[in-house]
Amino acid sequence: MDTILRNTKASSRQLYLDPRTKILLCITVSTVMLAMDNTGIFVYIIPVMTIVPLIFLAIIKSPMTAVYYGILYLVAFFVPKMIVAYLPQAVNLLFTGVLATMTRLIPGMSMFYFLIATTSVSEFIAAMERMHIPKVMTVPVSVMFRFFPTIVEEYHGITDAMRLRNVGSFRNPVDMLEYRLVPLMISLTAIGNDLSISALTRGLDAPNKRSNMCAIGFNVQDYIAIAVSVVILILAALSMAFGI
Amino acid sequence: MITTHNVNYTYENTIEGAALTGVTTDIAEGQVVLLCGESGSGKTTYIKAINGLLSHYYEGNMGGEIMVSGKDISKVHLYELARDVGSVFQNPKSQFYTLMTDTEIVFGCENMGFKHDDILKRFDKVVKAFKIEDLLGKNLYNLSGGEKQKVACASVGALMPKVFVLDEPSSNLDIKSIHELRDIIEIWKKNGKTILIAEHRLNWLKDVADRVICFEDGKIKFDTTAKEFFDYPVEKMHEFGLRAPEKFEPKYSRVQDDAESISISKMKLTKNKETILDVDNLEIPKGSVVAIVGNCGAGKSTFARCLCGLEKKAEGTVKVSGRKITPKERIKKSYMVMQDVNHQLFTSSVEEEVMLGVTDLSEEEKEQKLSKILEEMDISKYKEAHPMSLSGGQKQRVAIAGALACNKDVIFYDEPTSGLDYRHMKEVSESIKKLNDMGKTQFIITHDPELVQECCNYFIYMVDGKIELSGSWNKENIRFVQSFFKLD
Repeated sequence: MDTILRNTKASSRQLYLDPRTKILLCITVSTVMLAMDNTGIFVYIIPVMTIVPLIFLAIIKSPMTAVYYGILYLVAFFVPKMIVAYLPQAVNLLFTGVLATMTRLIPGMSMFYFLIATTSVSEFIAAMERMHIPKVMTVPVSVMFRFFPTIVEEYHGITDAMRLRNVGSFRNPVDMLEYRLVPLMISLTAIGNDLSISALTRGLDAPNKRSNMCAIGFNVQDYIAIAVSVVILILAALSMAFGI
Repeated sequence: MITTHNVNYTYENTIEGAALTGVTTDIAEGQVVLLCGESGSGKTTYIKAINGLLSHYYEGNMGGEIMVSGKDISKVHLYELARDVGSVFQNPKSQFYTLMTDTEIVFGCENMGFKHDDILKRFDKVVKAFKIEDLLGKNLYNLSGGEKQKVACASVGALMPKVFVLDEPSSNLDIKSIHELRDIIEIWKKNGKTILIAEHRLNWLKDVADRVICFEDGKIKFDTTAKEFFDYPVEKMHEFGLRAPEKFEPKYSRVQDDAESISISKMKLTKNKETILDVDNLEIPKGSVVAIVGNCGAGKSTFARCLCGLEKKAEGTVKVSGRKITPKERIKKSYMVMQDVNHQLFTSSVEEEVMLGVTDLSEEEKEQKLSKILEEMDISKYKEAHPMSLSGGQKQRVAIAGALACNKDVIFYDEPTSGLDYRHMKEVSESIKKLNDMGKTQFIITHDPELVQECCNYFIYMVDGKIELSGSWNKENIRFVQSFFKLD
């Protein structure tokens, strides 16, 4: 029978990369963007790191997300520079400053989106097991993968309900938040409970070694990505220690 | 295969009494047992006792002894039981753990640590037996409830346990999916599995079940053969609080002679370049109770959403006695009681919930209106209660009360009676009739023939986003609906 379970290599859906590689890429991009100054060799590396998520988003054929990313980044990059001279100091500090910081956050967030979008729960569990990370850590995180789409689904249901009742306009932001969050929390708790029951009756907490049907493993592209990430991380460490 | 001896159980923090008292049963290998009874009668608790959840997941007081295939349930871990007892639950959307059909089917096997080749063999076998080849490689979020339920069955089936327990598996399914679910149960039966099914809908199990155990107040009321049970007269079934649709005979056919009409023309909705709704022309007498029937994916919910103005991209016009009503006006005048009623209760007391968004009245008028509505919906005594502390049916009535307070004219229901017993279904139909007396037009999306028969006086049948048939109860239409519900 034709099934992904018979695959022995990462498929196009996984972007031909191992989940572990993707996690490392996530870490690399975030570290460089958040921790490094725009000096020395990082004058060149930082722009490269901002382009990386764009390339990945383009490859996974998510052009709209790539466009959002591009626009958001450009706005965060240029708008503060254009308006900073005309605004009072206080506004600059609170508003423009935050916007400028966004340029540092957006690439990391996009990489995280890419990780979630191309990694299935099973692959994630498989990768974590290969790294010998205990179940108490992997189970909650894997539930998180499962929960993102559920939150979106429930959220839409609640939005509809609010429109029908004509409640929660932006004039009362506190009320709006309450009306949204209370039902959301209640349904998510119920779903979470059902979910753990169904997983436990299928032996999720069995102490034996879990077998894994997911095709994960390193290929040439993984080694290249890992090598590049490691080099960048070492450079970052050196730069922080000695200020190259 | 399964023996329980004098089992007692009381949930922790419950205001009600014991959920099970002195339950003693002996179920032989290969039997298919239907567990029935009103909501809260103990049938679901009994299921949870067998699959070990009572001893290992819920907090509560347990007494007695439960043995499943020679194992004492209270002494083995849940994961050890997973090989012996497979459980399928009520809600299709909250019982898959991975996001893809293929990985979900082998999820249990992976947890058990079976060998790679063995898992593939099991996978092939279960996929072939259940004929779900076309579901492979799909994202579970994009499947219908029935398809999800089949994948859930496949996932526990791949573990090849000796016992299967199913807790109201048909609650969220359409007629077609229920029959497919029955096929799956038949396969298990043929393989000599022992199967317990707690259900409200009984008809679909007529030819599969061997034995019927009826619960009442946590005790076994009767325990009989299926043959004898299905020969009980309808009145007796209703007395036990059981559903028993036999023939389809509409009892509510009040027709307004001079009713104005709601006319819908050229209503269309396209999503991802696919037309999912295409209603050319439809006239409905204002003030009717309209049943919307059809299989899953026929566009029933989409139709309701377009009509009440929730779908922003819907084309088409809606006129009431010749006057055009814009989507914005429609959303103001209509309300939908959702399947998951928890989504639409926002505040911390029933009182506040009902009057939410009512601003154009003085305090005194508000008070009067509130007490009148609470009286009508029979929820006066819960005035100060938290909506979330109420039962499902009460929550539903609070939601409807809110719609009345906002002077909504058209009310939509999305499967209001899924998973309800006879008495609760009657309550829902009574409140629908009451609203009809107030002149409200109501649309009910439903798979429940008994509800349609109790309170609908008009129907729409949908296939592939189109309306195939609609009208009031003339002979032909009755015969058609009866055969749709497979009651002939």
